[in-house]
This record gives sequence, structure tokens and C-alpha cells, in this order.
Amino acid sequence: MYDKKLMREIQQLGFAALDLNLYLDTHPDCKKAISDYNVIQRQYENKRRMYELNVGPLVNFGMSPSKYPWEWLDGPWPWENE
Amino acid sequence: MWLYEKRLQFPVNIKKKDLRMAGLLVTQYGGPDGELGAAIRYLNQRYAMPTNKTKGLLTDIGTEEWVPWGYPLFSIILLALTKLVYI
Repeated sequence: MYDKKLMREIQQLGFAALDLNLYLDTHPDCKKAISDYNVIQRQYENKRRMYELNVGPLVNFGMSPSKYPWEWLDGPWPWENE
Repeated sequence: MWLYEKRLQFPVNIKKKDLRMAGLLVTQYGGPDGELGAAIRYLNQRYAMPTNKTKGLLTDIGTEEWVPWGYPLFSIILLALTKLVYI
């Protein structure tokens, strides 16, 4: 079942990872940012794995496993109200 | 190549229809100064870049403009504001 709280955490971690990624593209020698990035990356991966186990796949085309029947089609889709 | 992620980058919670706001957003959506145009420009410019730093940066900002913001989030806000059109 859809988990709003877990999804918020994924959104927050994903946002932080994206921002650190863009910062590092222009500051590739910043040790602090790389260490922050790696901390966030691990938390993000853990939360995503938890979401995929409890709710369903987040990414198509071979990035997430599926139970039976094919889980990718299950709602809610991102444009549907939670 | 790019993959679809079945989530929004940011929660969207729009309570009422607002066609004026939707009209403002449409100007940022397509068109010469819109998000999609910017994304395609970054992704094409990266082929001419001389350094790995600039190749990487343009790949990342092109992806970011196009994928998480430019398209899904934007179109969903529009959809919620208008409740009329499917973009």
C-alpha cells in the first residue's frame, strides 16, 4: 500500500542527492560535499529498497523486481491524488 | 539513456482551479524560453564540450530540467490547476 511518509523521505533524500550532485559537478574536489553525498546516497538507497519491498517498483525497464501479477501497472500513479 | 521514476520530485498539493496561473505556467513549459527547450539545448551542447567537467555538468542539468522538473512536475501542476486538459 502507498506509504506517504516513506515517499516524502525519498523525495527529500532524492532532492538532497541531486543538489549535491550538481554542486560536485562544478566543485569536484570538495571532500565535505563528497562525504555528504555518500551519506545521503546510502540513506536514499535504503529508503528506496524499503519502498519497493512494501509498495512497488519505482523504476521501469529492469531496475526493480516484480511480484505476480506485474506490479508496474499498479496505482496510484504520480499524477493521481494521494 | 533515461529511465522513468514513478514518483514526483516534490509533493504537489493544489486545492483549487486557477486558469490564470496555469496560463503563466504554460509560457514556461514549451516555447523558446521554456523548460523543454532549455533541456534539449543543454543536452545537445554537451557534445561540443572540451572537458569532462562540462560534459558531466550539461548532462546533469539537461536531465534535471527535462526529466524531474521540466516534464512530470510541470505537467502535473498544470493538470491540477486546470482539471481540464491532459498534457
